Amino acid sequence: MKDILRGAAIILIVSAILLFVNAKLNEGGGSAGKNSITVYNWGEYIDPDLLKQFTKETGIKVIYETFDSNEGMMGKIEQGGTAYDITMPSEYMIEMMKEKDLLLPIDYSKVPNVKNIDPYFLDLPFDPSNQYSLPYFWGTVGIAYNPTLLEGQTFERWDDLWDPSLTQDVILVDSARETIGMGLNSLGFSLNSTDVDQLRQATDKLKALSPNVKAVIGDEVTPLMINGEAAVSLTWSGQAADMMYENEDIDYVVPEEGSNLWFDNMVIPRTSKNIDGAHAFINFMLDAEVAAQNADYVGYSTPNLAALDLMDPEVTQDERFYPNEETRSHLEVYRNLGLEMLGVYNELFLEFKMDMK
Amino acid sequence: MEKLNKLPKIYLTAVFIILYAPIFYLIFYSFNSGGGMSNFESFTLEHYAAVFEDTRLLVILINTIIVALLSALISTAIGVLGAIAILFMRNKAMRNAVLSLNNILIVSPDVIIGASFLILFTMIGVKLGFASVLISHIAFSIPIVVIMVLPKLQEMSPTLIDAALDLGATKRDVLTRVIIPFIKPGILAGFFLALTYSLDDFAVTFFVTGNGFSTLSVEIYSMARAGITLTINALSGLIFLITVVLVIGYYMISRKAKSPLAGVRK
Repeated sequence: MKDILRGAAIILIVSAILLFVNAKLNEGGGSAGKNSITVYNWGEYIDPDLLKQFTKETGIKVIYETFDSNEGMMGKIEQGGTAYDITMPSEYMIEMMKEKDLLLPIDYSKVPNVKNIDPYFLDLPFDPSNQYSLPYFWGTVGIAYNPTLLEGQTFERWDDLWDPSLTQDVILVDSARETIGMGLNSLGFSLNSTDVDQLRQATDKLKALSPNVKAVIGDEVTPLMINGEAAVSLTWSGQAADMMYENEDIDYVVPEEGSNLWFDNMVIPRTSKNIDGAHAFINFMLDAEVAAQNADYVGYSTPNLAALDLMDPEVTQDERFYPNEETRSHLEVYRNLGLEMLGVYNELFLEFKMDMK
Repeated sequence: MEKLNKLPKIYLTAVFIILYAPIFYLIFYSFNSGGGMSNFESFTLEHYAAVFEDTRLLVILINTIIVALLSALISTAIGVLGAIAILFMRNKAMRNAVLSLNNILIVSPDVIIGASFLILFTMIGVKLGFASVLISHIAFSIPIVVIMVLPKLQEMSPTLIDAALDLGATKRDVLTRVIIPFIKPGILAGFFLALTYSLDDFAVTFFVTGNGFSTLSVEIYSMARAGITLTINALSGLIFLITVVLVIGYYMISRKAKSPLAGVRK
């Protein structure tokens, strides 16, 4: 009995010491007082040095937490019991969060740095006049390919994927909106089409692609492309940037028929306890130098015009990640199509997958 | 024990290789100076340095350990008392019912337990964070402790207690000097099992973390979305090391705990 009690005492003491160490570590940004904000962001989606810099400049401590999907993030916020001050949903999720009244409007008198953002990325249909959100990073959907595995073949259009020489070479992404969207785009229809006839045509066209399809998978595609085990894949630009960073042979193209333009945006959830702090954070992230440093670290495309001047021109003039006006005019942002239409997309996507041999 | 002949030995080796190869593969590449897990360039410790430079990751690591230690300790205390209560229940039907309720908790999917805790916490207004994670870890560990301790209790002869009472022991003495020393191996096993369950739990923790409090398994899951970096390998290597230390610690303690009993039996 005695040694059990002794063991328990040792455990308590060790826990106390660890708690103390943790408190010390937490203090480690030289922060002052209780003034803090909680930021809820995607994993690996910010330069950690910037959080320290923010604390140094404003005296506001940052508690940082990560999520892995829009849906999981909204679940946590909707359920309550949390006090996130900033989070970064994708555009379609903003529409849903707006509907559920989970967002606080942004007070622009506290965010002067909004002037740095490219007007092209403001006032978009998912959040008219940016009442609730400001863009954090953006990107496109396109084709990543490895020419060395394809005898130098290149891609310009979605239709190039249907080339008979690509038998069993193409990897698609396991997501209904992207894959059906590719079918719609290749036929010149809108990505947000709710016309059943157009959707049917797109699905039929996708079915014709099935001899070329090697697999329909998720994020696992990145290592496959890097290791040269796959030659062509439908990917998001951010993912393509990761691939190209690891394997110089890989190239990325936004097909000329048009494609998706996506955003992750900073918003202030209704659960926020430090609304001023949240505004200060948004303003800080929109600062030209900060945005440039962050874009450099994360590798995604920044919507911050002022930051572009501070970045390596080789990056900012790369039309694969910062497409020109002409390409941009073909890009389309996803709209929230409602549950019913989403069901139709999912069903057609399933039909396509079932049809594959 | 009978000496193993060749075939079982080969089988055993093959099983262990299959079980351990992925872990060692992961740890091996944590020393790779090249960026990925495909080709080994040269030896480096930079990924381990990256783990220790990232204070956030360290804080999460320590959080995980604190939650594991405290939840294992508290759930062991509650679980042992619960097991003793189950043993002394007079009504057999009642005892079986309680035991079944206990077992259902072990079998039921973590996801359901996690989701129900999330709903409970938000309903009664507990802020998600350290407390919510600790409480839920204690809750899912208690049934495990009960299951580990109960067989030891049943093994104990009831005459032992009668003898102690005859010799003038108070009820308190019986508990602290007879029952608990006898079931100590079960208590230890329960404690360590609860510890490992808490350390590696993902599903329940995923639901009840929030407000900047996170544990390793949840954090690694979020990190892995952006592609597995070698930092995760290094971190996994460290956790593997901690686990090995735990197992060795358990082995040492349980050997020490056994020896006095063996002395009595002689």
